[in-house]
Amino acid sequence: MAKKRSTATRRADSQAAAARAAAIRREQERKERRRRSLVVSAVVVVVLVLIGAIAYGVQSARDSSTGSAGSGTTPSGTVGRYGVPAGSSSAPVKAVIYEDFICPYCGAFESAGRATLQKDIDRGKLQIQYHVLNFLDRSSSTKYSTRAANALGVVLDSSGPKVAKKFHDLLFENQPQEGSAGLTDSQLVDYAVQAGAKRSEVESPIKDGKFNDWVVKGTDAASKAHVTGTPTVRINGKTLPVNSAQDLVVQIQKVVDAGGNQ
Amino acid sequence: MRTWAPWVGVLARLVVGGVWLVAGVLKLPDPAENVRTVRAYQILPESVVPAVGHGLPILEILVGACLVLGLLTRLAGALSALMQLAFVIGIASVWARGLSIHCGCFGGSASPTTDAQAAYPWDIARDVGLLLLSLLLVWRPRTPLSADALLLPAETEPRTRTRT
Repeated sequence: MAKKRSTATRRADSQAAAARAAAIRREQERKERRRRSLVVSAVVVVVLVLIGAIAYGVQSARDSSTGSAGSGTTPSGTVGRYGVPAGSSSAPVKAVIYEDFICPYCGAFESAGRATLQKDIDRGKLQIQYHVLNFLDRSSSTKYSTRAANALGVVLDSSGPKVAKKFHDLLFENQPQEGSAGLTDSQLVDYAVQAGAKRSEVESPIKDGKFNDWVVKGTDAASKAHVTGTPTVRINGKTLPVNSAQDLVVQIQKVVDAGGNQ
Repeated sequence: MRTWAPWVGVLARLVVGGVWLVAGVLKLPDPAENVRTVRAYQILPESVVPAVGHGLPILEILVGACLVLGLLTRLAGALSALMQLAFVIGIASVWARGLSIHCGCFGGSASPTTDAQAAYPWDIARDVGLLLLSLLLVWRPRTPLSADALLLPAETEPRTRTRT
């Protein structure tokens, strides 16, 4: 009976078959395009991941604060590895102050508090432990923050805390502008000598960056202690709020006047 | 789709991708600073902080480059949206905890910002805007002038052509 179909029916049948074949072909082409897209995408992803992995390795290698922990020397005379002490260790109030030698706010704080805080130190009422950081290294063209902090370590190591405090004060009194080249190594040596250090003892370690690694590690330690800016002043682990340079001095003085009883 | 509609996608690609590129490149010079910035948010455990600090700028540059070139637009858009979402959550969390930090979004060190609290809403608004543009690219990844259009054959192309 199938053989007795009309021409019209047969034509319709063949058209339907052609349409089906076309549909199948389109479907196959679609699948083929999809497959090709997936392959191309996968290749691109692999290439990008490789580039990313290489770049990640480069970035990690460039970060001197991570890796090789514990290497490098610490200046003698530090308190708790990174603190440069000013004043007697038996003083009732101990203020930990985080500074960067090129940070203008630190300069303002230093000049606001110089006379008051030095008096407290001299009377044995206050010990300051300076932690000098380098996180503003990009604010000078010569990594002044690192060089100056290293120099402080050198002076403490060779000449003791009294000379170190004087040197620290001199550097803030002659603070270079942000964005400048900073003081030169020779100028750092000159100020160290002016503070009372022996030129022969400080010249080469200042120029060679003997304690650069100590500065990097100290900055990392400060970051881990949640210090996110300078100046940061901590007394008994409590961070004083920063409203103005003058106010910071007033707050420290209040604690000193209370004899450490906050 | 109207004729201008695909060009909105191109604009979204250039804006979002451009911002990622700038943000990533500005963070490259100082990896230690990035690690400190990530740490300052006090969200991630210390064990992963260095990895994020080193890897984030690279991811930003790769995602930015993909978006600008229109390469793997949907995937890059999705990553971009996820990262923006993470940043919005991070900044909101810092804000809520009353921490005063500089967001470090475009590099730069965490400085003692007395006006940090005032900056947070703007940081979040910017990131939400970029998040929406990223989602637009996930929804409509096909745009003119893209590497995708050259590399990957459009699955629907023949059909739309016969329709016209």
